[in-house]
Order: sequence, then structure tokens, then C-alpha cells
Amino acid sequence: MSALHPFSLLAIAAALPAFAWILPAPGGGLATTLIAMGLTLTPGASPGSTSAGLTPGWRSGLVTFRTALVIAAPFWLFLRLLHDGPTTVAMGLRITTMVASCVWLVAVLSPDRLVEAMVARGWSLAVAYLFAATLSAVPVLKARARRIVEAQRCRGLSPRGSVANRLRALRALALPLVLSALHEVDERTLALETRGLGMGVRRTPLAAPLDRTAERVARWTLLLLCLTALIRRLA
Amino acid sequence: MRILGLDGVTFWYPATANPALENVSLDVGPGEIVALVGRGGAGASTLLLIAAGLAPRVTGGRLAGSVSRGARAGIVLPTPWTQVSGMAFTVWDEVAFGAANLGWPAHEITRHVDRALERLEIAALASRDPATLSGGELQRVIIAGILAMDPDLVVLDEPTAELDAEGTRAVWRLVRSLAAEGKAVLLATSDVDALPDVADRIAWLEQGSVRALGEPSLLAEDAMCDAGLGTTVAGLWHAAGLGAPYPLTVVDAVQRWR
Repeated sequence: MSALHPFSLLAIAAALPAFAWILPAPGGGLATTLIAMGLTLTPGASPGSTSAGLTPGWRSGLVTFRTALVIAAPFWLFLRLLHDGPTTVAMGLRITTMVASCVWLVAVLSPDRLVEAMVARGWSLAVAYLFAATLSAVPVLKARARRIVEAQRCRGLSPRGSVANRLRALRALALPLVLSALHEVDERTLALETRGLGMGVRRTPLAAPLDRTAERVARWTLLLLCLTALIRRLA
Repeated sequence: MRILGLDGVTFWYPATANPALENVSLDVGPGEIVALVGRGGAGASTLLLIAAGLAPRVTGGRLAGSVSRGARAGIVLPTPWTQVSGMAFTVWDEVAFGAANLGWPAHEITRHVDRALERLEIAALASRDPATLSGGELQRVIIAGILAMDPDLVVLDEPTAELDAEGTRAVWRLVRSLAAEGKAVLLATSDVDALPDVADRIAWLEQGSVRALGEPSLLAEDAMCDAGLGTTVAGLWHAAGLGAPYPLTVVDAVQRWR
């Protein structure tokens, strides 16, 4: 899947939640959830796998699948507390589609290919970078959080044990994580500026991803299908 | 002719009453290497940001005095991991990031990137993922990224902080070769022992002002040795109470003894 053009990946990730909300519940939501969760199992779909250059495979896909499940589970819990059974199922399936689509997109879309694709289409580099930096922030923050947890563990603060212990550990993780991220933003801004990000010159695409005709047609078809479904639903 | 000229520059960071730099005047010409030395907080990094055109444009704050920059500048900051673009999965792409942002034709980018990789002796790393590099390797990648943009003014903030002894020597050789090509180099370093062989002029910064400006022999003067900013050999000579002028380097000291 990661070989698809970045715009195709974005189109799929946007279309699935759109269909989940447009199509009648619970059938529509169930179908889109199954597709989205199925996508998370596709080879290469693993958080960080694209950036770390890991061998794609089903095992890494399972990590993405599990990540989507873990993120979606609390939504089901809160929906059940607030709504009756049918509404919980209808809303839960839609939210699960959204979560699974986003998790899959982050896992499968490499930020550098997105930037190259956007730049090749004439987008401003700063806008392209904003999209790509959002995607690349996930593995970076994850790695930093791991380092902070290890450092706190060295100082005797265990993230395991009672709820109070875990809350203390969470606070000790969150504060340095946020502060270091903010500090890094400052330095990264300077570094990117000096490397021409804000120059307003059109960037030369180094390796613009191949955009096949079939993919372009598929994207337009997805858009038309979404619009048709919306019109039929509103009619 | 000068590539960088600072005349009476005073700079305040946002929301601060005291200036980080006060009444600083400094010129850097083509082919010249000027090194800033001073204690932490003396204002060297701020001066480099101004020289690179990032302060106050990006940092915010207020600048009084005048700055003239007749050419494109590129700055290397001390922490390499905050300078990676985050947009490249190979070292080659990382080095090409800045050059591509200049909108150059692809063949020009390739030429400059390949040359920069060779000069930093990291051509063998070209296909590696930057995330898997050591701090020293990454620092060389960042320097290569700036050189690939072919700046006329190269600004280096502690360029050897992450490097081992061999990497440090390679960077100082590179700095000399950049100057030999006519590029202006402004750098800040705590590796003062290297400066007699690297720098053409030394600027001693103290509390945001230039306290002294002169040839590298400045690093062997009593005041600098008292401040702990002289070279190791000069500091030893000074501490031992031997007569001035103090030797700057081990080679100088050996010649003096003979």
C-alpha cells in the first residue's frame, strides 16, 4: 500500500470516514470499519515502519491493528455510558473507522513522499511541511517518550504499580515531553529557515512519486461516490 | 570588501529588558575565518544568529545598529538532532533538503550534494537513514547540508561539539579549505586550542560586548588566560609564571624551549 501515490492514500483515509458517516448505520459503518481495520493489517502498515526502514510484513501490520483498537476502545466505553445499544454501535463503528483510517495513514504514508508529491503539484513548501511534520511527529514523540521513561526509571520512578504510581509517572513523563518538544520547535524553526524553508522559492522535487492514471481515476471515482452517497442520503 | 558587517549592533530578545548583545561591531571578509570565544552566555550564539539573518527575523526581539550581509549565509547549530529536516529517509536526501529548497535544477543539486558528502567524508553514509546515525555522524550530515547550499558566509556554532578527535580535525581542515575558496567563516567554539591553526581573527565576547578583537595571539594574553579562555599551552605557561609572550600551541612551546 505504501507504494501508492500519497494523494491516493490521503483519498482512501478521507473517504472511509466520509462513507462511515454518510451510509446508513449500522451496515455502512460496519463495512467501513471492516475495510479500515483490514487496511491496518496490510504489509508496511506499522507506526514508524516507514521511517525506520523495517521489513514490511503482517507482524508490523498487527501493531497498527492493535494501535487502532487501543485508541478506539475508550470511545466505545464512553458511548455505552451515554447512549443506548443501537446508537453506541452506530457511533462506535463510525468513530472506529475514523481512528483506524488515521492510524493506518500515519503508518503507511511517508512524510517525505507527501512533501515531494505536494511540491510537484505546485503547493507551497511551508504548507506541505506542515502536513508532513504532523505525520512525522508521531514516531519522534514516541521515541522521546521512551527515552524519558527510561531516564525516570533510572531515577527510581516506576511507571508500573498502583494507579497513584502510574499517575505520578505520567506527570513525570508529560512535563519533560511537552517542554522538550517546545524547545525543539524553536531550534528546528531556525534550522529549517537557514535551509531555505521560508524562502518562498519553488522547491525542486527530488523524487516526485509516480502518479498513475489509474490512481488519479480512482481518486476522482472515490470523490464522486462520496458525493453521490451524500446526495442520495439527503434526498 | 566585506561579506558581513555589524556596526554598533545591540539586540534584545523578546520580553527582556537587558540586551543579549551591546554595541557590537565586527566585519568578516571573503576567505576570512573569525572565531568568537567567551564564557557561556557571553552572546556568541546570538551574534551568530544575527549574522545568519535569523535574529530578529525568526527569533523575534529588537535590533539596533546596522547589519550588512552581502551574500547568502548558512548556519550550523550545536545540536544536530534538532536540525534534521524530518523529511528525508536517507542521508543523501537530508543533505539535499536545503539545496532543493533553493529551487536549483536537479543536476546542480546532485553536484553540490555529492561534493558536500565527499568533503565531510560521509559519502559512505549516503543511503543510511539519518535516524540511525550517531551524534557525530549526524553533525557532519548537517554541515554537509549547509555546504550543499553553497553559502558565501558559513556560520558555525560549536561545530565540533558532537565530534570525536578525528571528526574534529576533519571539520577544522574543512573550515580552512572553505576559507581558501573565498568563503567567509564566522564560528563560535570552546575548542580554543584549535583556533591558532584555524582562525584568522579572534573576537573575545564578554557579557554581550566585544572585549577584544585581534589575531590568534590574543589567546595567549594574560587577560584571556586569567579568564580561562587562553589555549591550554598558554594557560600552563601563564600559571607557571613563565615570561610573556606565552606560546600558543605545543609546537610554539617546543620551539621556545629549544
